[in-house]
Amino acid sequence: MIETIYVEEAIKNHPRTKFILEKFKKSRIISINKYGEIFNKRNQNFRIQKANPSLILANKKDSFVLSAPEGFGIGSSKNFYFSHMYNCIYDCRYCFLQGMYSSANYVIFVNFEDFDIAIKKTLEKNVNSKLTFFSGYDCDSLAFENVTGFAKHILTVFRTYPQIEIEFRTKSVQKEPFLSMKPMQNVILAYSLMPELMSKALDNKAPSISKRINVISELSARGWKIGLRFDPLIHGKNWKELYQDLLEYMYNKISLDSLHSVSFGSLRFPKRMYKDIFKLYPNEPLFSSPLSLNNKMISYDIEIEEEMTSYCKNLSLKYINENQIFKCSI
Amino acid sequence: MKNFKKKKISIRWVVALKEEAQIIIDQFRLKTFNEKTIYPIFKNEEETHWLIISGIGRSNAAASTAYLYSFSKASKHTSWINLGIAGSDKGNYGDLCLVDKISTYQEKKATYPSTMPKTTLPKMNLFTSDIPISDYSTHELIDMEGSAFFDIASKLVSKEFICLMKVISDGPQNDIKEITKSKISNLIKKNLSNIIYVISYYERLSEEESQIAEKPELFYEITSKWHFTVTQSYKLETLLRRIEVFCNKRDLEDKIKSCESSNSVINVLNSKIKKNIVNWSKF
Repeated sequence: MIETIYVEEAIKNHPRTKFILEKFKKSRIISINKYGEIFNKRNQNFRIQKANPSLILANKKDSFVLSAPEGFGIGSSKNFYFSHMYNCIYDCRYCFLQGMYSSANYVIFVNFEDFDIAIKKTLEKNVNSKLTFFSGYDCDSLAFENVTGFAKHILTVFRTYPQIEIEFRTKSVQKEPFLSMKPMQNVILAYSLMPELMSKALDNKAPSISKRINVISELSARGWKIGLRFDPLIHGKNWKELYQDLLEYMYNKISLDSLHSVSFGSLRFPKRMYKDIFKLYPNEPLFSSPLSLNNKMISYDIEIEEEMTSYCKNLSLKYINENQIFKCSI
Repeated sequence: MKNFKKKKISIRWVVALKEEAQIIIDQFRLKTFNEKTIYPIFKNEEETHWLIISGIGRSNAAASTAYLYSFSKASKHTSWINLGIAGSDKGNYGDLCLVDKISTYQEKKATYPSTMPKTTLPKMNLFTSDIPISDYSTHELIDMEGSAFFDIASKLVSKEFICLMKVISDGPQNDIKEITKSKISNLIKKNLSNIIYVISYYERLSEEESQIAEKPELFYEITSKWHFTVTQSYKLETLLRRIEVFCNKRDLEDKIKSCESSNSVINVLNSKIKKNIVNWSKF
């Protein structure tokens, strides 16, 4: 239940604003000029807000499509991302969003059509490159789909460009709009996974791993391309057995023909971000892990990172090709 | 040695009139100060609740909020409450409202207090005016202090710790000129249970947040035995917070008792963390 919705004056009559507000009939609507009046102002407490976040409906003015940082990709020569939403309905303890924003409120940009234009312009500028777009870098791509309808909207753009890939990265069990559509071979439904035992402690408010796997299985059986994202890899007691069980289960559960790619990423935080997150949650078990400063990032020691990545990669190579495996380093 | 059991509830009330404040003063058993203060200040014996009577108007509200902050040594986990009467033609006479938007003639930009407690109390936009207004049609709620209180309080604490509560005292059907001291007291009294309910949220909030910020007990023991620089103190605090998740105090004391310097304490703690393998089945 969202108690308060802030709406930018300029988009109060936008059809998508009305569509979203229809879903929250009991919420209090407050008119604002710019979402920056509420979101990410100083003197806000992310953790306290997270207990009862508000929704902000806004109009995005610029920076619709951005180049993905180097090290973020699944095989294309150029990678881009866009975010129709800031913040996430889940509360995963390792998530960078909790260190990135001072506000836990959700911002939804309703001017989807401006994303369409920016994507098309990006395509025109990069006609000779293999491109991948990542939807929802600053949020979970699908967790709020039943409210925003963004995935359904943006798929109509990518349907006309079958050579361009789009990845939706999620922990949600949202099956629509995919169940009611014909599968598109340039769409990757990428699921973040970790052993259930760790997920229970870390993926607060997110669907269980078993529920995610059921959805992966269902959508892959329908012909959708699946990405498996073991990012971050979490260290702990019996980590080898836990990851072995999960990886083998996954590779046996889904049709390998539907598997687009698998990526592994170590637990990592930029130093400043780690400091902010630790301040918010100083008693979290995650921070009792053997983390230290390595190359300006707070992460496990390099030996742990390499052992975990190569262990998971070697296990995966029994089932899939090396060119399907990627490393997340951003 | 610090008293670790001491309650950390911390509430500061900013109220314009004595008549608005009296019910709160009685409820929380607040007593006036013997020493002379610029504004009248009251506090309870435990020093968890402090109240200042600001007088009417934005200048008084701003000055008294800053004054109370300084005088009472309020922390960044203190909850700040502005309680008072307000005019409205939207709500019902005598209703208690929470404020979630504030505007003024002077400022182009509105401000947006959070309304964190789960409650069915109505929420309204507040307009803070420098003069009494008898035309109620253009605003939901009208007062003479709210904006200034919020502006100052939001410089002192994060905005989740700030609450503005208004009781509707006048409107088109209830002439502002007919407000009397006893009417004001009665309006606040009638809403006391709701006020206490809201305040209980802010009491919990200030208590929980100050507990989270509290340094580990062992920090004080260690720094009393070895000399730590500021940077080392920060490292020590961080390490202790991380270690206390999986290691009890006695084990840690055993580990460090033979250390000869602050550096060796930090090294021991660092190595403890390095060797920790998190048992996720425990969480």
